[in-house]
Amino acid sequence: MAKEFKVVGKKVERVDAFERLTGEAKYTSDVYLPGMLYAKILRSPHPHAKVVNITTSKAQALPGVKAILTPADVPDFPIHKRETPPTVVMPVLATTARYAGDEILAVAAVDEETADEAVELIKVEYQPLPFVLDAEDAVKPTAPKLYPEGNAIQEKADITIRGDIDEGFKQADVILEGKYKTHMLQHTTLEPRVTVARWDGKRLTVWDSHKAPFNLRTGLAEALNIKVNQVRVLTHFIGGDFGDKGNLERQHVIAALLAKKTNRPVKLEFTREENYLGAHHRYPTTWYLKYGAKKDGTLTAIQVKLYADSGAYYHFDGAWNSLEIPQKVYRCPNVRLEGWNVFTNKPEGGHMRCVGHPAGMFPQEVHMDRLAEKLGIDPLAFRLKNYARKEDGDQDRKIPFSSCGMEDCVRLAAERFGWESRWRKPGTSEGPVKKGLGVAFQSCRHGSQFGPMSAIIKLDPDGTIELMNGLNDSGGGQKTTMAMIAAEGLGIPYEAVEVTTGDTDSTTDAGGPSGSRGTASVGNAVMAAVRDAKNQLLDAAAELLKKKKEDLEIRDAQIFVKGEGGKSLSYKEVLSRAPSPIIGRGTARPPVNTATHGFGAHFAEVAVDTRTGKVEVLKLIAAHDVGRTISRIGCENQIQGGAVMGIGFGMLERQHVDRQTGICTNPNMVDFKIPSILDVPIVEPIIVESDDPLGPFGAKGVGEPPYGVPAPAIANAIYNAVGVRFSEIPVNIRSVLDGIEKRQG
Amino acid sequence: MDDEKKPSAEEVKEKKGSLKVSRRDFLKGMATSAVAATITALPGPSATEAEAAVPSGIKEAVIALNINNKVYRIKVKSNWTLLDVLRRELDLTGTKKACDHGNCGACTVIVDGKAVYACSLLAISMENKKISTVEGLREGDKLHPIQKAFSEQGGYQCGFCTPGQMMAAKALLDKNQKPTPDEIKMSMAGNLCRCGAYPKIIESVLSASAKIRGGA
Repeated sequence: MAKEFKVVGKKVERVDAFERLTGEAKYTSDVYLPGMLYAKILRSPHPHAKVVNITTSKAQALPGVKAILTPADVPDFPIHKRETPPTVVMPVLATTARYAGDEILAVAAVDEETADEAVELIKVEYQPLPFVLDAEDAVKPTAPKLYPEGNAIQEKADITIRGDIDEGFKQADVILEGKYKTHMLQHTTLEPRVTVARWDGKRLTVWDSHKAPFNLRTGLAEALNIKVNQVRVLTHFIGGDFGDKGNLERQHVIAALLAKKTNRPVKLEFTREENYLGAHHRYPTTWYLKYGAKKDGTLTAIQVKLYADSGAYYHFDGAWNSLEIPQKVYRCPNVRLEGWNVFTNKPEGGHMRCVGHPAGMFPQEVHMDRLAEKLGIDPLAFRLKNYARKEDGDQDRKIPFSSCGMEDCVRLAAERFGWESRWRKPGTSEGPVKKGLGVAFQSCRHGSQFGPMSAIIKLDPDGTIELMNGLNDSGGGQKTTMAMIAAEGLGIPYEAVEVTTGDTDSTTDAGGPSGSRGTASVGNAVMAAVRDAKNQLLDAAAELLKKKKEDLEIRDAQIFVKGEGGKSLSYKEVLSRAPSPIIGRGTARPPVNTATHGFGAHFAEVAVDTRTGKVEVLKLIAAHDVGRTISRIGCENQIQGGAVMGIGFGMLERQHVDRQTGICTNPNMVDFKIPSILDVPIVEPIIVESDDPLGPFGAKGVGEPPYGVPAPAIANAIYNAVGVRFSEIPVNIRSVLDGIEKRQG
Repeated sequence: MDDEKKPSAEEVKEKKGSLKVSRRDFLKGMATSAVAATITALPGPSATEAEAAVPSGIKEAVIALNINNKVYRIKVKSNWTLLDVLRRELDLTGTKKACDHGNCGACTVIVDGKAVYACSLLAISMENKKISTVEGLREGDKLHPIQKAFSEQGGYQCGFCTPGQMMAAKALLDKNQKPTPDEIKMSMAGNLCRCGAYPKIIESVLSASAKIRGGA
């Protein structure tokens, strides 16, 4: 029987709808403080160069210039680092530029124009060095080195061996190899990175478009060598993060130092162009896949070699993250995965929605399609036969999944799509505009839980509550989701909850909404606070009613004496008479020895005009197992929005770097095209509820899983329409036409 | 397959050359040529830039702007955009700056009935025009039917593009009370939403249209 909820799963208007829809919401870019200075950064025009000399005298003489920070003025603090050899450090300001756009120095002036002018007046002499842009070129012994130890790094986790790979290929009737590539792209949050810093005596206040304020607070305290409680971070409204805006970055330290130096507030706001250069990127990947299967479609061997292009610095082990896809989505006893993180003279790679998984989903899902065709099996049936089921779980740790709704996702989506009745063999569509159908699966750990998790609930005398929660709402509706969980838990109306986020002084650390962790992880902390508050309510009621606590129970926001029928006290009655304030404190820990995955399947229908190469996505059905829907609108928006962004990944977005100069040629929103309302179909979401036993009310997260699936589903649909395979994305008119031409020979 | 075409040396040079024309230089040029005649130079720097020198070719003037039926008299420089004046000088920060190059639509406002990008208009050219921003949509605590529809249908996520989306929707609905989904798509194609809320934006505009026709 389906569980009954009063608030959970309902369609509600968001808690902060008024602020967001009236223009009242103050995002960091909207912060203008009295006496505020504007900072600008001087960026290297060279992809690889030593800074030989800096002359700032002309800029210093310009009226309105208040401070200049050169590499000599900043602490020797690593913004991002790899601690064990080969050590890699991103300094606050670079004395060796490692990509075109690397940050060399910063200026604060009374207005943006003066700061711009000052940057232009500063003379930096560079000694240009040879540079390398492609990961496969960078691993060659003759390649220019970004770091003395070389350009390639392998972490322990970057080699995974399961079973016996040679034996796996021996058992295979069909072996298929393929090379695939994904390219560099950028989050393109509509609000670029922006920081405002102000010192009040010893205390630093930072406004930032940032999803993890407590991370930023700790990072700033370390960088500036002050105590953590001397820093207050305010991040009330954030114009999107999509994986960016989660760490301490250079601009935070630069703004704080300039504010200190000038004793005035300083705003450092990236221009759109700067955001394409200086913020993080989806890192490019190059894949070599070799898969083996038996005639009946059973996978026997998965062998993968991957180069993950970190760009100029080391943010995290991107190779490992991407390799999780071949490691975990399909069950296979014999697996060998090898990954390398490679440095190139390009902007830094980093986290972007679903991190490394989409880069792995494109090659694997296309490869599975090819393998199915080689075996003569329907591509959907082939996937269904092989996907890792609940009992297979994490095949390396040998832990079953806590829940798995893949079968429902596939069944419901395939029915609505009409897969069985409409799917035809590739290339059988008639006429110049050919239609095709494609499918892709998703299974990854995003949506599971990890720390930190905490929340505080204050119960007020009128029966309303305040939820003080460090989990930021970058747009996914986390404030609303947490309010709904609190309301359901306490048995009160959703409207009775006010939520405070985005202030390290008035909330506690709940991490950021990364890894699709918010709903399940922080939801559990909210539920812990709910239990604590209810416990205190019972204590207070027992005192008021002169009863034993064990004789009382809470039902529908009323406290009843067990067995005494109608006799009850409302929360309000208890709260207005309680001997001391009731404050629910909740902390939680991620479950151990468990494996939780989000699951999904996308079905795409495309029309390919063989005369022009234009691909139109006619239909995209996106089915996802979310465990339990908390906010109906939030859940649908995340699925639809993730899929829309994923269409951009598959068909539009690539940040180009010119091979001769090493300079990015499209750092703007015209030449780096994100999907507009005209580029996408109405994505149809299907929500599957597998009732995860570990999440609050059975919920898992869903922010990231929908992103990586459309690209392979669409690529497979294009193949189904015109018989052209793609080994890299984005797929564009040119590559479609080239493919058709080649096929016609 | 590699679609990274190698441009010729000339192409590279030309590209780099074109990038060198900064927005500021462009606006400077605009200021001296197109609008210089219409403004009065005033002595003394403005409040916000008291400590900076006025760059050559830039003039200052006191102008009157009619925004949301309120007249603001304000001293501006001839190269300031409407967007910067709204946000920085008048604290009307509901209109967002996302690309500042007329590429994304986050700064959409309505001028004399037309949805336009505030980042691509000089404030000084806005005298005697009727400007509407997101702040003027609601009446007190009562949301405009468009705002109510966006709230109910969830036609937004992070909310950063949303003021622009709603102003584009208003400009459409003021002219066409009952647009089709295709008409909505066509008239809102200049407003990018990175959260991808497009499906629900269309639902929101349809719902707003019904509310307005129903007299909500």
